[in-house]
Amino acid sequence: MRLAPVFTATTALVASTSGYATEYLSVEQAQQAMFPGASLAVTPLKLTPEQVKVVVKKSGVGLRSPVVRVWAVSGGGWFFVDDVLGKHEFITYAVGLDATGTVRGVEILTYREAYGGQINTPKWRAQFTGKTTASPLLLDQDIANITGATLSCRHVMEGVKRVLSIYEIALAATNLPDAAPSAAR
Amino acid sequence: MPPRPPLAELRRARPLLGTLVEITAAGASSAVLARAVTRAFSTIEQVQGLLSFHDPASDLTRLNQAAPGQWVQVHPLSWTVLRHARALARVSDGRFDAAIAPRLQVWGLLPRTAAKRVASNSLLAGRGRSRFSVSRVPACGSAALEFSAGSRVRLAAPLTLDLGGIAKGYAVDQAVAVLRRAGVMRGVVNAGGDLRVFGDVAVPVQVRHPEKTGVFFALGGLRDCALATSALTYSARRWRGQDVGALVDPRTGQPCGHGVSITVWVRSAWLADGLTKVLASSLIELGLGGETGATGSLAAGKGAAGREAAAVVGEMLARYEARAVIIDAAGRATWLGAVTHEFIAQADVA
Repeated sequence: MRLAPVFTATTALVASTSGYATEYLSVEQAQQAMFPGASLAVTPLKLTPEQVKVVVKKSGVGLRSPVVRVWAVSGGGWFFVDDVLGKHEFITYAVGLDATGTVRGVEILTYREAYGGQINTPKWRAQFTGKTTASPLLLDQDIANITGATLSCRHVMEGVKRVLSIYEIALAATNLPDAAPSAAR
Repeated sequence: MPPRPPLAELRRARPLLGTLVEITAAGASSAVLARAVTRAFSTIEQVQGLLSFHDPASDLTRLNQAAPGQWVQVHPLSWTVLRHARALARVSDGRFDAAIAPRLQVWGLLPRTAAKRVASNSLLAGRGRSRFSVSRVPACGSAALEFSAGSRVRLAAPLTLDLGGIAKGYAVDQAVAVLRRAGVMRGVVNAGGDLRVFGDVAVPVQVRHPEKTGVFFALGGLRDCALATSALTYSARRWRGQDVGALVDPRTGQPCGHGVSITVWVRSAWLADGLTKVLASSLIELGLGGETGATGSLAAGKGAAGREAAAVVGEMLARYEARAVIIDAAGRATWLGAVTHEFIAQADVA
């Protein structure tokens, strides 16, 4: 016997417009997750205009600021925090590199989706800098699970490429830091 | 007895499977959760590595590049996914088929690969695959996938497979299995369009509007169940004056699924993923899709083709205890399939 398809009524769904934000890891948590037990020292790094040009050319991705958020890991390795801007999404992520410059891990720290152009304003983005899981943020509402029309992770992958170019240009030749970094994490 | 560590919840996201994969795990100590989530991500990475169309070293690429008829040794995970692919192609009468890769390549949705080494036509001649012709781009033909003991696979015809239709769901299933084995009581693995919930928890889900970004529809709750949505919101493009996207009807090679989103609830994510493709291919026959975005009941499918499609799709939804909803651009939802115990109506979620 062929089973007839069960059909329930055609209904009208209620649409909601909203932003979407999730906080996964603080910078400190990501550091511990990627380099358990290691100590990390902030490494002040500002790319020269020439270096910026090379990074943009090599990675094919724009650079909004020459200031790089990077930490040196005791025992070798580097930890970067960077963000990428899509059409609707603003993603802060961390990249860990081992002493040879190989990617050790990529973790998303925060993810925000917004509509109506606000994502392109520095003021909107600024409200998220320095946030940790201790200060969770809610946009209009925190949507637990969204499905449909997969958002691409292309921007994050491009960002990782950019981090690797920065490493190559500005850090690869640097002597690895000795233990006991003095700067705060 | 030492006091038990408090139960915690952990939520992580990583860029994998071409999207952001989010894992939420709860009901164990933080140490257990952290280990489990790390392992689950590694498993997803492993499945991605085995089944990637882009990676020249993946099992899928090795199979695609092998001469037709040549046995290829693959990982047991790859073997299972390929078995699933062939089974779904058979049960759906070709409404799902992994051999659509050449179409997606022509449309620029998959990278071009080295020209397929075409075997002698004798390989095909004896198989009586009348629908299959080497002279045109093959879109259909997972039936030419053959399996042998020892995790070996071969393509008896010069096909190029893309497992994008089910591999993401399969990776989600594997991640859930790893979390459970590691002692996680409940959790969610969400890989963009493919999501699975396990344990004693009901999770509200929302689906994106098929055309308007930033607009969501609440779909109800999910408990111990998987859900997958297919839509062309981000993959739609123009190709030689035609609207194309990642959804293609393998039987005709024509693009399908424009203007709607298709969501399926069923026990496992690979199946949910695959069933959305079966429905996408059947929309026109069922009288549910097309440019007008018209909706109606399955019975509205016209003629013999409509009746046959309704029978095949209806039987599949019943067999797998699946439920589906097709949402058009106007926000009208057409519900198909059985109301299963996993489904929690929106009214009961809020």
